[in-house]
Amino acid sequence: MSSNAAAGTIDHHLDPSTTTGIPNKKLLMWAFLASDCMFFGCLISTHLIYRLHPPPGTLPARQVFSIELTSFSTFILLMSSLMMALAVNAIQKGNLKSLRWSLLTTIFFGCIFLGCQVYEFRNFVYEKHLTITNSILGTTFFTLTGTHGLHVLIGVIWLSGMLIYSFTGRLTEKDAIDVESMGLYWHFVDIVWIVIFTAVYLLEYI
Amino acid sequence: MSAPASQAPSSGHHLEQSKFWIFVQIAMLLAVITGLELVTVYLPFMKWILVSALVILSTVKFMFVIFYFMHLRWDKVFCTILFFIGLVLAGGTMWALLKLFGVEDSKPLSMAEPSAVVLRVA
Repeated sequence: MSSNAAAGTIDHHLDPSTTTGIPNKKLLMWAFLASDCMFFGCLISTHLIYRLHPPPGTLPARQVFSIELTSFSTFILLMSSLMMALAVNAIQKGNLKSLRWSLLTTIFFGCIFLGCQVYEFRNFVYEKHLTITNSILGTTFFTLTGTHGLHVLIGVIWLSGMLIYSFTGRLTEKDAIDVESMGLYWHFVDIVWIVIFTAVYLLEYI
Repeated sequence: MSAPASQAPSSGHHLEQSKFWIFVQIAMLLAVITGLELVTVYLPFMKWILVSALVILSTVKFMFVIFYFMHLRWDKVFCTILFFIGLVLAGGTMWALLKLFGVEDSKPLSMAEPSAVVLRVA
């Protein structure tokens, strides 16, 4: 028995019941995220390859993208990561009230990000005439950012489920590992966006 | 950067208290770095310098998020190793794809040289 258990506190970084000492749910999430790295790696490199050769007659990516909107989205996602980290911190201390506020804010920021992405997609399709089928840039861009957006949507649904559970009593300090696993997923979505922001958007402005 | 997971109860409590401010400070730092990235793309320097600066800045952001927000700094080293295996494989895959499908090979057939199109069809 660890000293923390003897003192009546929960060590959220150590699970003595597993051979690795790491909670199984956390290990599963890390393994999943490691595999998801390869998935996004392929999508990003595909975009980087094909962005070099836009078909004749299409607008340059620089004229299509809106750096102001994307920067705002990036800031929002970074702040949602902060709130997610605070949510994990709150559940580990058994502070349900703080957890609920943090989760709610994270969901709110996630929804703003998704709203920005929907607005951006609509703008590209209807104003800039860039669709998923009319150019290679459109195909790789919408596939990459759409897949990322889908990850964000799944995260928002997952967060909402956790928020509801916190009100029904199915989420307590003992279930902190569930919130932490969800937090890992959310932060991963954030780091993928950090790479996309640089590789897809900022590179076009150099 | 990872640390042994077991902490003494008193230091663990202190750590949880200080984490809040660590997270807030890191979030502010990430916002500042994002601002720096935005400024960087408009600087009148050579392209390779700007690209290198962007890569370094985004790598710093990436590392701060995984080691602090994702708790790798406080978790067992095995989690770091597991994630970095995925990262290295992803990086290797990206490098291989970018090398295999070089500038010429990634041209659509409609844009490529006529002789090259004939060769590919043959």
